[in-house]
Amino acid sequence: MEENKYIGKSTVRIDGKAKVSGAAEFIDDLDFGPDLLYAAIVESKFAHAIINKIDTSEAENIPGVVKIVTGKDFPFRFGLYMHDRFIFAQDRVRFVGEQIGAVIARDAATALKAAKLVRVDYTELPAILNVEQALAKDANLIHPELRHYKHVPWFFPKSDTNIAHLRKVRKGDVEKAFKESDFIFEDTYTVPRYAHCAIEVHGAVGLYDNSDRLTVWTASQSPYTQRNLFAEALAPLGLSHKDIRVITPFIGGGFGGKAGVSMEILGAALATAVKGRPVKVLWSRAQEFYNTYQRQGLTARIKVGLKKDGTIIAMDNILNWDAGAYVEYGANVVNAAGLSASGPYNIPNVSIDSVCVYTNLPPGGPYRGFGYSEFLFGLESHLNEIAKKMKIDPIQLRRKNAIREGDILNYGGKMNANGLIEAIDKVEKEIEWGKKETSSDPNKAIGKGIALFWKAPAMPPNASSSAFLKFNEDGSINILISGMEIGQGLLTVMAQIAAEVLTVPPEKIRVETPDTDRNPYEWQTVGSHVTWGCGRAVESAAIDAREQIFDIVERALGKDRKSLYLENESVKSKTDNNFSLKLCDFIIAGIQKPDGSYRGGPILGRGMFMPEFTSALSDPETSQGGHPNVHYTVGASAVKIEVDKQTGKVKIPKVVLAVDVGKALNPDLINGQITGGLLQGIATVLYEDMRFNNKGKLINPNFTDYKIPTSMDIPDEIVPIIIEVPQPDGPSGARGVGEHTMIPCAPMIANAVDDALGIRIKSMPITAEKIALSVKHS
Amino acid sequence: MPIIHKFDYLKPKSLSEALTVLAQSKNAAILAGGTDLVDMIKENVAQPDLVVDIKGLDELNQIKFENDTLFIGAGATFSDLIESKIIKEKYPVIFEVAKTVASVGIRNRATVVGNICSAVPCMDSGPLLIAYDATVQLAGQKGERKIPAAEWFIAPRKTALQKGEIVTGVSLPYPKVKHAGCWVKLGRYTGEDLAQVNLLILALSDGTFRISFGAVVPIPVRAKKIEKLLNGQTITPSLIEKAKQLIEEEIKPITDVRATKEYRIHMAKVMFERGLDAAIRRLNGNGQAYGTSMI
Repeated sequence: MEENKYIGKSTVRIDGKAKVSGAAEFIDDLDFGPDLLYAAIVESKFAHAIINKIDTSEAENIPGVVKIVTGKDFPFRFGLYMHDRFIFAQDRVRFVGEQIGAVIARDAATALKAAKLVRVDYTELPAILNVEQALAKDANLIHPELRHYKHVPWFFPKSDTNIAHLRKVRKGDVEKAFKESDFIFEDTYTVPRYAHCAIEVHGAVGLYDNSDRLTVWTASQSPYTQRNLFAEALAPLGLSHKDIRVITPFIGGGFGGKAGVSMEILGAALATAVKGRPVKVLWSRAQEFYNTYQRQGLTARIKVGLKKDGTIIAMDNILNWDAGAYVEYGANVVNAAGLSASGPYNIPNVSIDSVCVYTNLPPGGPYRGFGYSEFLFGLESHLNEIAKKMKIDPIQLRRKNAIREGDILNYGGKMNANGLIEAIDKVEKEIEWGKKETSSDPNKAIGKGIALFWKAPAMPPNASSSAFLKFNEDGSINILISGMEIGQGLLTVMAQIAAEVLTVPPEKIRVETPDTDRNPYEWQTVGSHVTWGCGRAVESAAIDAREQIFDIVERALGKDRKSLYLENESVKSKTDNNFSLKLCDFIIAGIQKPDGSYRGGPILGRGMFMPEFTSALSDPETSQGGHPNVHYTVGASAVKIEVDKQTGKVKIPKVVLAVDVGKALNPDLINGQITGGLLQGIATVLYEDMRFNNKGKLINPNFTDYKIPTSMDIPDEIVPIIIEVPQPDGPSGARGVGEHTMIPCAPMIANAVDDALGIRIKSMPITAEKIALSVKHS
Repeated sequence: MPIIHKFDYLKPKSLSEALTVLAQSKNAAILAGGTDLVDMIKENVAQPDLVVDIKGLDELNQIKFENDTLFIGAGATFSDLIESKIIKEKYPVIFEVAKTVASVGIRNRATVVGNICSAVPCMDSGPLLIAYDATVQLAGQKGERKIPAAEWFIAPRKTALQKGEIVTGVSLPYPKVKHAGCWVKLGRYTGEDLAQVNLLILALSDGTFRISFGAVVPIPVRAKKIEKLLNGQTITPSLIEKAKQLIEEEIKPITDVRATKEYRIHMAKVMFERGLDAAIRRLNGNGQAYGTSMI
């Protein structure tokens, strides 16, 4: 195999200088001039209530108020996978903080002041604040109209219940397998809600100009999906896709929270109310917590049947998801997790019910891991409990049952090539598994924990990516894509991919953030798929450009195109050592013929990728028959903790994570993903803790009482291990890796706590308080 | 987040000018670091008609040691305390407290005096001042006042400050004998946090102790019963056990979003035992460096 020149090298981020110098612009940096208007939101005080009347008269009299809008101005339902949400609440509010109306004013303070003066008359309804209440026999319906909601064909809502979607998986004969099991272990694990806590809050600025064109600047992972949803939601106003333009500058973190459309619909809708003037909606930190998406809560009942030798032959999981007030995105988390909730194991008989349950808490939605962190907490904790009870080493139990290439997946497809066993072996060695360690401090105990992980991108079967690649006069390149740079280093990796094909170094390639008028289609930057999918599109655009280059050389100079190749930004010939033509000499200007005329013209590569082998069509009762997932990325992670038996505080001397990335296009960036993912995951298990009061109000929508890690909370040693079993359909063999680095954290820590103290904690988070009080009571 | 409330802003050039405008205003607020005040104005909790910025008053910006007493001016920030030579030499436990207050950015602005004027139960400065028998110094148009720290705190967010007065600083008399201290603060992770329990212990070479709790009480308290039990005694494991039994009589913790009452009581005992041990070791010259967390 030929040595790569740019792929696999730790190219320095091409957006690094813009970011460290402050040149990079984020949405709140953009200048919209003196005409800019500001919007503030009138929010629901109740988790569940009927809106009787909205009185805006007092607010309208505040000088500086330009316009006040409410639900009656936008009676439209919309959503990504299911049309179950509204631009503004209509007759009913379904969570505390839901948008009821907006005040648009000449400055932000006036808007906020006037919004507080809008009087809403409610009739409070009983609020459903957990899954048990929602699933109770006589439960009030949060969405009485559910039967009328439009949704994707792979959702199965249950009319006249609070179940928005039920994903059922039935593989083999579970009943029979449990009868044949020597051991059966059953337990329940719970995971609360979590917030993404991107450092930059959500924001949107909309301008509906006097030519009837709507431009929306958003802090987003999904400019094209936003354009599509804006067009769908606002179609009654006469807007079509061509009239809508979404521009997405750099964003300060997404983690799934800026996928799809949440508050950005307000920027689009409000702009239509004040034609000719831009209007800005910028979330406060509190709104960022309660009115974007939250990671959904999960109660997982897990039942596993094994043979004496530790072979798992049956699994029966019921996953009840607290999906919140609107599930237009969150129901697909439930769906994806349901398909994969048996974990990276080869289990012949599987039954899974993954239930998407409406509650009167804020809308659930995508969060790094897309449901996998949640079910893995229970599953990987439970496997350790099983190992303990069966007196099998927890790593042996996992290795014995680990999924291998060609094994049958829950929906009947075959598992892709993967390095799971290699990951287990390397992690086991690196953490010195089996070596018992004791602390010199009698108050402290040392424990080790392991967890395996897998995850597939969750996306519609026709999610696609595209790219344009433009050569410039000097041989430099601009690449236009709509994959979003969300900190992962996408722009750099796309430049590396094009560089490899065209032999133009990455520093001569510029890749910019999306503008839907200029940059071609990308579904969304989610699901750890964009390096894979958009990478294929860029690779294909680069190849397209290369073929155009060879075509020109052949036509103008009569060279046999089969002999041509690119090297060091020049066209060369395998049959003519003396031939060398610099790209910059002709990629715009063309090649001059002896008669003075030219051949060629600007080189413009075009690339597209759609995974044509996927399908979401399957039997709703069993999930058999389709091919919903493009591939699984797998790995293993292990941790050594030192826990203070008196205070419950956990310190992490060492953590190791091995992930099979197919091909590390840029190893430094992957190490960054591993470090960041571990830190984010460890925080969710040790101290992040979302608290609601008994009225459904979030009581810690701030960093005072919702703690995310600081530099002081980084483990002492982080060992990233990159495994490369190529993904045949990925760019240079790469597959997705973004989310995977956080999802083993919770069970890995839980298992280490159990190893250190003999205490099994079955509910997240595993705070110092929970540990200390468990020790005290044990 | 925009500020809705409208107010006037004044930055006086002298203390007397500040006192004059304060006397004339109906509902003025004093701005030093602003880390509490600005948030409270944003959230509409504070609605002053006038904000008097005292950062320009040089006489309030000092930290000095005179007549065996440390004076911390109203403008002195926690970063100033951390960097102060006098404090590192004579009152290293103040350094230890200051290092645990919020984060570097906040410490660069927030002041001790602002902290005790806000007087929220989880403040870090309260236990320190009452352990040192500090005095709060006030200036008003009628003259100066001195109030013992123990009488300064009246209730959560309520102090002995009277209308028209400015706290000019706090004075901490140096104990008559050699001493060492230990500050133990409970947070939910390693990064900055508001205390769920905090505790300051001074061990003096005459065999006495000064012990104060914060965050587990409405206002910071000296643990008088425990001090009485320990003073002059040889510290044995059984005496420590007895002292721990008394902790529940000294504190009144609540359950809130940050911690349960049960965990706070449990941790108050753990922290007391470790803090006492650390303070005694430091007094004896074999303790861990100031700034080392005991939990």
